Amino acid sequence: MNLLPSGEQTQIVDSLKDFLADRAPVSRFRPPAPQIGNADRQFWPQLGELGFLGIGLGESQGGIGFTAAEEMLAYREFGRHLLSPAVLGLTLGARVAAKAGSELLDEMLRGRLPVGLANSRGRAKLGAECSGEFHLFDAKDAAWVLVCDETGAALLRREDFTDVAEVRGTDHVIGLERARLAAVRPAIWIETASEAIYPRAQLLIGAYAAGIAEATRDMAVEYAKTRQQFGKPIGSFQAIKHICADMAIRAEAALCQVIYAALVQSEQQAGEEFHSVAAKLVSVDAALKNAAQNIQVHGAIGFTAEADAHSFMKRAHVIEQLWGDTRQQRRQMLAAAFPD
Amino acid sequence: MDLHFSREDTIFREQARAWLRDNVVRERRPHSGEAMRAFDLAWQRKQCEGGWAGVSWPVEYGGLGLSLTRQLIWHEEYARADAPDNHLCFVALNHAGPTIIARGSEPQKRFHLPKILKGDVIWCQGFSEPNSGSDLASLRTHARIEGDQLVVNGSKIWTSHGHLSDWQELLVRTNPDAPKHKGISWVICDMKSPGITLRPIEIMTSPNQVHFVQCFYDDVRIPLSNVVGEIDDGWNVAMSTLGFERGTAQIRDQIRYAYLAEKMIREAQRRFGSETPLSNDEIGARLAHLRADMAAARAMTYMVMSRAEAGIQDSQTSLMRAMVGETQQRARRLALDILGPYALENPEDDDWVYFYLRSFSITIAAGTAQIQRNIIGERVLGLPR
Repeated sequence: MNLLPSGEQTQIVDSLKDFLADRAPVSRFRPPAPQIGNADRQFWPQLGELGFLGIGLGESQGGIGFTAAEEMLAYREFGRHLLSPAVLGLTLGARVAAKAGSELLDEMLRGRLPVGLANSRGRAKLGAECSGEFHLFDAKDAAWVLVCDETGAALLRREDFTDVAEVRGTDHVIGLERARLAAVRPAIWIETASEAIYPRAQLLIGAYAAGIAEATRDMAVEYAKTRQQFGKPIGSFQAIKHICADMAIRAEAALCQVIYAALVQSEQQAGEEFHSVAAKLVSVDAALKNAAQNIQVHGAIGFTAEADAHSFMKRAHVIEQLWGDTRQQRRQMLAAAFPD
Repeated sequence: MDLHFSREDTIFREQARAWLRDNVVRERRPHSGEAMRAFDLAWQRKQCEGGWAGVSWPVEYGGLGLSLTRQLIWHEEYARADAPDNHLCFVALNHAGPTIIARGSEPQKRFHLPKILKGDVIWCQGFSEPNSGSDLASLRTHARIEGDQLVVNGSKIWTSHGHLSDWQELLVRTNPDAPKHKGISWVICDMKSPGITLRPIEIMTSPNQVHFVQCFYDDVRIPLSNVVGEIDDGWNVAMSTLGFERGTAQIRDQIRYAYLAEKMIREAQRRFGSETPLSNDEIGARLAHLRADMAAARAMTYMVMSRAEAGIQDSQTSLMRAMVGETQQRARRLALDILGPYALENPEDDDWVYFYLRSFSITIAAGTAQIQRNIIGERVLGLPR
């Protein structure tokens, strides 16, 4: 038993960290950058080339052949950098395509086929026939859209959706549309019973949220060390110090549970559902609270669009809603079998 | 990263599980008095006779010398078997014993260690004073050296089970002129020494619940040979025991709470009479988060073990302790809300209210939640003092 990353895992993550620090700093969203939508799909081919889109997919399925653990570590970095959540469309879309033996797989793994996400905004029913009301995330220029719930995962064509209407998002650097599905047969439908896409989605969303919780902790701590008032750094005051400590506790809880859930998946241990939903609940809670407290620690500058604090907070809310909000996840948490 | 346990470790787990299944005491543990002392010592004796005493102690001192992994396994199985926590043996097994092993003289080791393992003696801690709580190093109970004896005067407080103890690990100021961390000595004190008087302190689980005592020392004579480590070096000696208290010694308790959450879900289902406790939306929501947080707390425990195994020594343990403490406290509070009006009843055989009242100590004992946050802020995050 060992929850620490191996030397190889650290190397893999370091290469991703370097790439993202160089190409995708969170400051890319600051004005005067366009405030509506994002250009993150420019990174997909490079991430594909570096192997990160198929990192957790078996070699026999065309992937890199690492496990849920490495995929989780990558998503933690994606969260730290607020990479468009549409990256899930590629990671999970590739899994769906591989399972179905679809020729889309190769293009997805190369990051040459952007896949948007659909998220229920009310009633929705997924299956061999999909219906309901949805939001689409970063799907405007995508030919394909992925949607997922406890029953399975569906890959749909963008034109399967009707009544598409653009709306301005709360997290405005994500392209947001309203759309509808009226009894559409998806191009691919993978039932949970045949491949558990949903627990993997929860794990990766959890890892992304843990990344937000860590990044906001780091941002607040850094600011508390440098910002001076009353002649000393504000981090020397217990009122601020204890906020930072709370952020550290939450971030560590999120990270540990996400790691544990990833290992349960990669080693096919009992409790996949239990630990995946716990990972999402704990991490989303940590992301939302840390993002909010980061704004508070920053004071007035945290309230502006010139600092990055608001971007983390808005993204945390998107992540909270994605493929099962907190209320729905709580129900699943209580229904999951306790792995003794 | 992996969750694997070796074949040998798995066999060890099966052995531990089998022994606990056959030997765990099923009687209810008394909450106070001589009956509680007798209960805890009997259970310790049974573990010793079964060959399971001192899992973390080196073999040469009668322990099992288990690796951290096997200690974890033992604690997991202990919690799974719902074995009673012999709290009265905690100080001896987790502070005093390890401190004597680390810093004690040969005669001290020979005399005290076997008695602890065999369940012959109870130890208590004499650290806190009326005016030295979180600021422990400011302690003022002093000892002057007369020949081959220390003569102790002063007072200690919040001494858990002091009235039921045979021995005390006692911190005294032996050099009032040195800086506050430098003039302290760590002494083994016989609780039957002339000059010690005890004032029982009832705690909030009352009525009739004496947990603490205040100890008064009036010219109490202690042989100099009872000093552990060097005279005036007691702060360093004490820090090694606090290291144990703040480190791996409480794993069992953390794992036990994961099972408690499951018990609470069953209790909620029983009371609300439906297949899902979510029929009460508020209780259900809190139970769901509790279950998730218990899982995370356990994962944090695994992380702490992983870091310890890798030889990483830092203050990250305090992150786990803070998370675990508050999750436990929240669990006890939630249990009361599940009980509803029955939370107003606190009969002798109650499983919930007593522990709810007890839970207020979780964020106070062994470093308050606020001291924990100072440690996290300064030592983990590097914020200025």
